[in-house]
Amino acid sequence: MSALLRWWAGLAWRWLDRVDFPLLAGLLAIMAASLLVQASAAGGDPRAVFAQGARFAVGVLALLVLTRIAPLHFREWTPLAYAGSLVLIGLVFLFGQGRSADLWLDLGVFYLQPGELLKLSVPMMAAWFLHQARLPPGWRSLAVCAAIIGLPVALTILQPDLGTGLLVAASGVFVVFLAGIAWWRIALFAGLGLAALPIGWQFLMPYQKDRILTFLDPESDPLGAGWNIIQSKIAIGSGGLTGKGWGEGTQAQLDFLPEHTTDFVFSVFAEEFGWLGVLLLLGLYLFVTLRALWLATQARDTYGRLLAGALALTFSVYVIVNAGMVVGFLPVVGVPMPLLSYGGTSAVSLLAGFGIVMAVGAHRRRWGG
Amino acid sequence: MNRWRPRPVRDAAGEVAQFRRRVVAAGAGVVLLVLALALGYGHLQVLLHEEYATRSDENRIRLEPIIPARGLVFDRNGVLLADNAPAYRLDIVPERVRDLPALLDELGRIVALDDEDLARFEAARRGSRRFHPVTLKARLDEAEIARLAVDRHRFPGVEVVPYLTRRYPFGALTAHVVGYVGRPDADDLAALEARGERRFAALPLIGRAGIERHHEARLRGEIGRQEVETNAENRPLRVLRRHEARPGQDLHLGLDIRLQQAMVEAFQGQHGAAVAIEPSTGEILAMVSLPAFDPNLFVGGIPVAEFRRLNEDPARPLFNRNVLGGFPPGSTLKPFLALAGLEAGVITPESTVHSTGAFRLPGQAREYRDWRPGGHGRVALVESLAQSVNTYYFELAMKLGIDAIGRDLGALGFGRPTGIDLAGESAGVLPSREWKWARFRQPWFPGETVIAGIGQGYWVTTPLQLARATAALADGGRLRRPHLVRAIGDGLDAPPQALPQPAPQLVVADPAALAAVEAGLVATLHGPTGTARRMGEGATYRIAGKTGTAQRVGRQGDDRIDPARLPLHLRHQALFVGYAPVERPSIALAVVVEHGGSGTVAAAVARRIFDTWMALPPADSASTEPPPVAGTVTGVSP
Repeated sequence: MSALLRWWAGLAWRWLDRVDFPLLAGLLAIMAASLLVQASAAGGDPRAVFAQGARFAVGVLALLVLTRIAPLHFREWTPLAYAGSLVLIGLVFLFGQGRSADLWLDLGVFYLQPGELLKLSVPMMAAWFLHQARLPPGWRSLAVCAAIIGLPVALTILQPDLGTGLLVAASGVFVVFLAGIAWWRIALFAGLGLAALPIGWQFLMPYQKDRILTFLDPESDPLGAGWNIIQSKIAIGSGGLTGKGWGEGTQAQLDFLPEHTTDFVFSVFAEEFGWLGVLLLLGLYLFVTLRALWLATQARDTYGRLLAGALALTFSVYVIVNAGMVVGFLPVVGVPMPLLSYGGTSAVSLLAGFGIVMAVGAHRRRWGG
Repeated sequence: MNRWRPRPVRDAAGEVAQFRRRVVAAGAGVVLLVLALALGYGHLQVLLHEEYATRSDENRIRLEPIIPARGLVFDRNGVLLADNAPAYRLDIVPERVRDLPALLDELGRIVALDDEDLARFEAARRGSRRFHPVTLKARLDEAEIARLAVDRHRFPGVEVVPYLTRRYPFGALTAHVVGYVGRPDADDLAALEARGERRFAALPLIGRAGIERHHEARLRGEIGRQEVETNAENRPLRVLRRHEARPGQDLHLGLDIRLQQAMVEAFQGQHGAAVAIEPSTGEILAMVSLPAFDPNLFVGGIPVAEFRRLNEDPARPLFNRNVLGGFPPGSTLKPFLALAGLEAGVITPESTVHSTGAFRLPGQAREYRDWRPGGHGRVALVESLAQSVNTYYFELAMKLGIDAIGRDLGALGFGRPTGIDLAGESAGVLPSREWKWARFRQPWFPGETVIAGIGQGYWVTTPLQLARATAALADGGRLRRPHLVRAIGDGLDAPPQALPQPAPQLVVADPAALAAVEAGLVATLHGPTGTARRMGEGATYRIAGKTGTAQRVGRQGDDRIDPARLPLHLRHQALFVGYAPVERPSIALAVVVEHGGSGTVAAAVARRIFDTWMALPPADSASTEPPPVAGTVTGVSP
């Protein structure tokens, strides 16, 4: 009996040998916080919590399975994954469904948001390309990267889903940045980007323009587009140092706070757990990011390094953009708080991404190099 | 290693160092930004906390649902069958009450509160947030409202909320047609939200039965919302933003409430069901299932004891016999079988059968009997219907065979739901080899075909199926979908829009066959030998019809059972199908009288219904008539 148990334990242990436990622990802590705040925001409806828990279970399983795959295989599959996700985003264009924007693809069994897949496949493709290129990248390599990143980003923004489009763009740009693009080129691109802003403005949807104008001056329309930001700030500010307590956040419970289970869930958290809670959660996010970055430096090849590093930095962008937007530092762009917000594809693809990061980080330790 | 291109020569160590520098730069950037965020939150949450806490406390902007008026239901002459009536309920916001037990105690002295009110309040309170209002009593009478108005200052956190409730002016008369609404429970709301319909927590009423349930989405409309600024007592000061509700759509039924009333009276207190269809449209003119119940009891939430009494009543008042009930059609099936025989060419109107009183299958001892001892002699089609000669149909069934019976009667709508706009309709049973095998794992026996020929054995039909097939007979063989709602109204300004119905199917192509069967049905009421000739006497118009008896107990051997001696629940059901006037039918009818013994009992009920219908003034002249007051329904036990 105990021999069998030991055998099982041994098997399980070998299965988990490429899991980075500090990183996993950080992720699990964030997920626990998510279930806690979802239970409160859903107003005592246990189904929402179970659904979120089920998604986390799927995501963690995906993470564990992905750690078993050698990064070499990821590299081989990259062009296929990239092409596949481009096809899916094209399908959404033709058949998608959603409330305000057509972001979802009905797969019969569940809905898929192909934009989430792009957050993995675009940095994979950029890393795949730069893996073969001479580094730091020259003009020709940068042009290819611009095409790899630009096409899916354009499709996503046209859906229209500005938030996902910017995150996909960021994930690709981080690959290029980590590949060592020269600082003067960065400065050049930044300058060009700023100059192009007025042109980009023309292409935004009216509601996207609304959001940016509102960000610039929320009090100009306190019951219109500015409502969300003002109510969110009231929620956060009234939380104080220690918060109002779990389930006692009146802002969210009284329906003042819109989208309080998704994009604005961090406001609910801040209201109920106060600044101390915010510090703890931001600390967890920071730890996860830095740990993933450290794992990236352990990678053996360029592809793994660039991919893992870009995934880690994209994760931090989520956090910074969401936390910044709900407190009114940044415009509202529809970026969820990673793992905290209610939502399926996002949680699973994020956890899958960390599975890849762990696989990349463990690669070197296991096979030497 | 890449397979397609040689890898450029590169400085691996240099790349690693470069990468590390970039990671450090990016990591530092992330740390700085998160730190900035943390400080920003601290600024808001610690330094500006006082200000925001005040703003949160003073956040007096309340999001309120705007409940649209539920659509009204009218009969074919514009008489109101379901109405919205103003009512008042008593809500409590638990957060603003200091001592809840004491408050309930004191309220109990002003307002009548029973244990059920308190139990429901307790359950609702546990499932909701402390600052959400919870209903204590759904309906306040005027004296209670007046007393509360006087004492309101003594009860902070107690609110009297006006709302619209549902009223059925005809009560039990329309119970099985219009149905009723009830308060939605958690499952209803979950089902609605699963379908993507949000913000339904505020939904006050939901259709539970009848038209109210089937056309729920139309009747409900769309809930709106408004942002309301309130004062310190939570009283609204002004509306800041409004998202209008869309009112529910009105339903116009084909039902004529006068005929409905006459139908109930025609039963003279007996139990049973009847449904009348307009043959040229498929509209239901009247439909009753007796006994019925008062749907108004359900609107505010029916007391448990009351519901148990209705639910456990052996006469089953909650059960709509027309669409849910089933029984063998007996002899009322004969005209439809005759049609099948004529169309298949196995009989002609002239071909005859000799009835000796008993029919035997070759080589079998079992006798299948005529109802008249000694038989009817040699009869052709018309007499076979007029006298209801079983032998004729035993032989016809054997000539057709069970497969042809299943096919041809299936085409007339037997064995499948009619598609009426009511929930839970029964399909009945169309006997066939496949059905028997699926049900009993047994092969089909010839003797079963014989009794299928007179509508006995495995047959199960609903009154609605019989009425529909009869209407097809009356309308030149065109089978239609029976339906209650014929038009939809959107507000008072626009005229009601007809609700499109599927095109009728021509299920009997041969007019000669229809004419031959009709002659037999007319002879049943107006011929010298007709089984229902007494019911045809004195009519100023002509009726085509057929009586029938659905057996509850089979005959055993040679014993004849006197139906009057059987206990009530084992007695036969009396059936009648028919239409009138024969020349230009305006009504097709199916009547079932429970425990009615012989089919003539049902024919008598049908005659009374026909007489009323023929005597009713044309529809349009009645449109100004005010609706009768509730409580005038006679012959209905609740």
